[in-house]
Amino acid sequence: MRLRYFLSETFTNLRRNLLMSIAAVSTVAISLLLLGGVQILGMVVGNMTRSWEAKVEVRVFLLNDITEGELQELETTLTNLDQVRDVQYVSKQAAFEEFKEQYADQPEFYENLPEDSLPASLDVKLTDAKHSEPVATLVNGAPGVDEAKFGGDLIRRLLKVNSLLRTITFVMSLVLMIASAALIANTIRVAIYARRDEIGIMKLVGATNWFIRVPFMMEGVFAALVGALIAGGIVLLANAVLFSRMGEALPFLASVFSFSSGEIASILLILAGVGAAVGLVGSSMALRRFLEV
Amino acid sequence: MIKTVDVRKEYKGGITALDGLTLDIEKGEFVFVVGPSGSGKSTFLKLLTKEEEPSGGEVYVAGKNLSSLPRWRVPYLRRNVGCVFQDFKLLPNKTVFENVAFGLEVIGRPRNVVQRQVPQILELVGLGEKLDRFPDELSGGEQQRVSIARAFVNRPLILIADEPTGNLDPATSVGIMRLLDRINRTGTTIVMATHDHAIVDSMRRRVVELEAGQVVRDQSRGIYGVGT
Repeated sequence: MRLRYFLSETFTNLRRNLLMSIAAVSTVAISLLLLGGVQILGMVVGNMTRSWEAKVEVRVFLLNDITEGELQELETTLTNLDQVRDVQYVSKQAAFEEFKEQYADQPEFYENLPEDSLPASLDVKLTDAKHSEPVATLVNGAPGVDEAKFGGDLIRRLLKVNSLLRTITFVMSLVLMIASAALIANTIRVAIYARRDEIGIMKLVGATNWFIRVPFMMEGVFAALVGALIAGGIVLLANAVLFSRMGEALPFLASVFSFSSGEIASILLILAGVGAAVGLVGSSMALRRFLEV
Repeated sequence: MIKTVDVRKEYKGGITALDGLTLDIEKGEFVFVVGPSGSGKSTFLKLLTKEEEPSGGEVYVAGKNLSSLPRWRVPYLRRNVGCVFQDFKLLPNKTVFENVAFGLEVIGRPRNVVQRQVPQILELVGLGEKLDRFPDELSGGEQQRVSIARAFVNRPLILIADEPTGNLDPATSVGIMRLLDRINRTGTTIVMATHDHAIVDSMRRRVVELEAGQVVRDQSRGIYGVGT
């Protein structure tokens, strides 16, 4: 049975070339760990930017003499926009309450104010922070609208920083992915180079290329998967021990450092996938040179 | 069994190794290929396993035109052409048994065939007692016997030997030649490149002499050379 030959060949070779196997496994583990680290960094940045951006909203201040019809129309227009997630009417009373709450420790701010001194408004929550400026521009000057406000410059800067952060983490993970692929492929090439005589003799006696290739590729995939397993284990451990502690110690960062099991699973899947793919592609590419003739 | 028609081979850099080689070798023949270094002996042998491709002309092995043989068929060609080299090409980390078995395993022969044929062939080459030795525990002559066993275990139609006695002393060489002679008597065609006068002269088989990539002498029951 061929499968039995392939399997026994694979594991015999892994055992006989133990040092090479260890080198390959630890190379994969280390480079995938780096990759996993960047992935986590990317998630942290993502959580962070998302939590900032979730707070971005447009507040449409209404004129005191706005008619019921104008208000209805304005609310409908906003609600029907794709970029708008939610529209909330804040009455003069509610605005005053909110103001009181905000400055609860400085009662002198509101003590002498009449309760209707603050304008009513519509609070518009958006699907994405980048829509704040266009939405504000759209409703500015509509009948009954005093002024639509959004964060302005601050928002623009925040968005720029966020997109920069995202680009940086994306580029970093891309570079690391390529670097770890190259590193793993190189380790496999060294391992195969050490056994080029064996390959030469296999060719000599008429072994087909596939027959030569399969055990090497299985070794590559196996070593890469073991490496991925190690890297994944460390990521899981870090999540269980390190990040949850960080969340407890720094409550305001808790949301940033908490990952759903889906997110962790996706990291592990990426690691295993990259590992296996690199093991497969790396070993077959490294073999190609020795299989010619 | 082997036929070349006006074969030319130029390597990169304009070196001409073969220059119009035409040769016909029948089934069951034992042929010595002689000539000075660089006369094209090794290149000729490499064409027979498609390790090299001719720059011009045709090569036929076992009735097949090698230039029209697709790449994926080359391994199957090689199963019919056993090879023996001056430097044995044994795997140092495998035992005698494993080295010979390797030649069968990698072409997908089932385990029971391997278990049966390997001891048989090692008995034939006179190493029936040394199955578990490693190559570096053997003498040069014994190592060459292992490599002949590996080349022949698959019962190829043709056995190619590129200076198989080149690293061996005269007495040991005689033993190797006896072995090759025995293999030849089973009907296997043998093509052997050599520099060894004594062997060629004592065996009195067909001698093909090459010079500058051309056949300058083709003599049945020949000797190594008159002038050399």
